[in-house]
Amino acid sequence: METVKRFFARARCFFEYFGSLSLLFLRTIGQMFVPPFKWRPLIQQMDTVGVNSSPIVFLTSFFAGVVLALQMAYTLKKMSAEIYIASLVSLSMCRELGPVFTALVVAARVGASITAEVGTMKVTEQIDALETLATNPVKYLVVPRFLALLVMLPLLTVYADAVGIIGGFIVSVYNLNIPVFLYIKKTFDVLAYKDVFTGLIKAMSFAAVISLVACHEGMNTRGGAEGVGRATTRSVVFSCMLIFAANAFLTALFYFIK
Amino acid sequence: MSMLEVREVHKTLGGRPVLRGVNLRVEKGETLVIIGRSGCGKSVLLKHLIGLLRPDSGAIIVDGQDVAQVRGHDLGALRLKFGMLFQGAALFDSLNVFENVGFALLEHSRLDIVQIRERVSRALQSVDLENIQQMYPADLSGGMRKRVGLARAICNNPQIILYDEPTTGLDPIMSDMINDLIIRMHRQLGVTSIVVTHDMKSAYKVGTRIVMLYEGKIIAEGTPQEIEQTADPVVRQFITGAAQGPITANRNIE
Ligand SMILES: Nc1ncnc2c1ncn2[C@@H]1O[C@H](COP(=O)(O)OP(=O)(O)O)[C@@H](O)[C@H]1O
Ligand SMILES: [Mg+2]
Repeated sequence: METVKRFFARARCFFEYFGSLSLLFLRTIGQMFVPPFKWRPLIQQMDTVGVNSSPIVFLTSFFAGVVLALQMAYTLKKMSAEIYIASLVSLSMCRELGPVFTALVVAARVGASITAEVGTMKVTEQIDALETLATNPVKYLVVPRFLALLVMLPLLTVYADAVGIIGGFIVSVYNLNIPVFLYIKKTFDVLAYKDVFTGLIKAMSFAAVISLVACHEGMNTRGGAEGVGRATTRSVVFSCMLIFAANAFLTALFYFIK
Repeated sequence: MSMLEVREVHKTLGGRPVLRGVNLRVEKGETLVIIGRSGCGKSVLLKHLIGLLRPDSGAIIVDGQDVAQVRGHDLGALRLKFGMLFQGAALFDSLNVFENVGFALLEHSRLDIVQIRERVSRALQSVDLENIQQMYPADLSGGMRKRVGLARAICNNPQIILYDEPTTGLDPIMSDMINDLIIRMHRQLGVTSIVVTHDMKSAYKVGTRIVMLYEGKIIAEGTPQEIEQTADPVVRQFITGAAQGPITANRNIE
C-alpha cells in the first residue's frame, strides 16, 4: 500500500514537472513574437553557447570518430571488410553520436552555466527586479538563450559530424592503409541527405530540452548559494536524461516513418 | 482618495499563513514605515504591492486599479509607477551601472541615448554618486550598491518608492546617509514612500507614520511620537528591543 502511494506521488511529481516545463515552452514561444526584438542579447548568447563550446566539441567528436573506426576495424578486419568503416563511421556520427555527444557536452557546459546564472539572479531578487522594471523575465532571459541554442546546437552538430568523420579517416588511412580516395568516396556514397537532416532535427530538439530545463531550474531556484548548486546539478542530470530519452524516441520515429 | 490601499489581504506561502488579513491605506506624499520582526512577512507584503505576488484573497488598489487583476501591458505600466529598492539592491550583475540605472528607459522608452545619459546622470547625482557609470556591481561597496539601486528605482520618475530594509547590513554612518536620501527623495520629488525596516532609528527618522506588522496583521499605527510612547506591550517590546516580553513569551523563537 505504501509503495503504491509512493509510486503515485512520484508519478505526480513527474507529470507536474513536465507540465511546468511545457508551460515554460509555450510562454517562450509566445514571448518570442512580442516586440521589441533585440539582436544584441541573441548574438551575445550565440557567442557564449556556440563559439566557446567549439573546442570541447572538437575534442569529444574527434576521439569518438577515432574510437569508432578502431573498434569497427577490429571486427571488420576478420572479414576483410575494412572498407565499410567509412560508411559506418559517417552514418553513426551523423545519425547518433554527433547529435548526442554534442548535446551532452553542451548540456554540461552551457546548460549548467545558464542555470547557475539564472539561479543566482533568482536568489538575489534580480528576477523580481526585472519584473518591477516592467520586463518579462521569460522574454528577457529565456528567449535569447532558447533561440541561441536552437541555432548553435545544429551548427555544432554538423561541425562534430565532420570532425568525427575526419577522426575516423585519419585512423583508417594512416593505420589501416585504406586508400584515401576510396575512403572519401565510401563516406559520401552512403551519406544520404536524410541522415544529416534527421541528425539536425535531433539537435534542435536537444537544444530545446537543454535551454528549457536550464532556465526552468534556474527560475525555480530557492535557498541561496547552496540552492544554486543544487539547481545546477539537477539541470545537468535532467537534461542528460531527457536527451537520451528524446534520442531513443526520435530514432524510433525516424525508423518507422522511413 | 488614497494613493494605495490594501484590503484584507491573506497569503499562505509554503503551507504557512504569512499574511492574515492586512489592511492599510497610504496617502499621497506620506512616508509610511512598516516595522516588524525578521520573517514576519514584510518583504512578502511589499511584493504584493507591486504585483510580484498575488494575494490568496483580498485586494490591493493602486490609483483606483486592482493590482491582482491587471495583466500584460497594463501591469507593466502600473509597475512603472513604482520604484523598488530591494534588500540586497538586486543590481543586474551582467550590466554596468549606467545600464542598470537606465534599464527601464533603455528597454521601454523612446528616448534617445543622449537623453537617457542625461536622466541617468541626474539620478546618480541625486544619490551623490558620480563617475561610476562604467563600473560593474561586483566592484561596488554595499552602500554604493544600495544607492545605485535607489538611482535605478527613481530613474523613471515613479510616484511611489518602495524600500525593503534600506539600512540593513550597512554601517551606522552609511545608514544615516541612506536615511537622509530617503528624506531628500520625499521632499525633492514629492513621492509617496513605503519603507520596510526593523531599524527603529531609521523608522523614527524617515517616517511620517509607522505601522507594525505582527503575526500577519497590522497591530499598531501612529506617528513616530505615538509609536514611541505606545502602551501596547507587543509594540513596546519590539521598539525597545527587549528579549523578554509578550512576543517571545509563549512561543519558541522562530
Ligand atoms: N516564495 C516563498 N515560498 C515559501 N515561503 C516563503 C516565500 N517567500 C517568503 N516565505 C516565507 O514567508 C515568511 C516571511 O518572509 P519575508 O517577507 O521575507 O520576511 P521579512 O519580514 O523578514 O521580510 C518567511 O517565513 C519566509 O520563509
Ligand atoms: Mg525581508
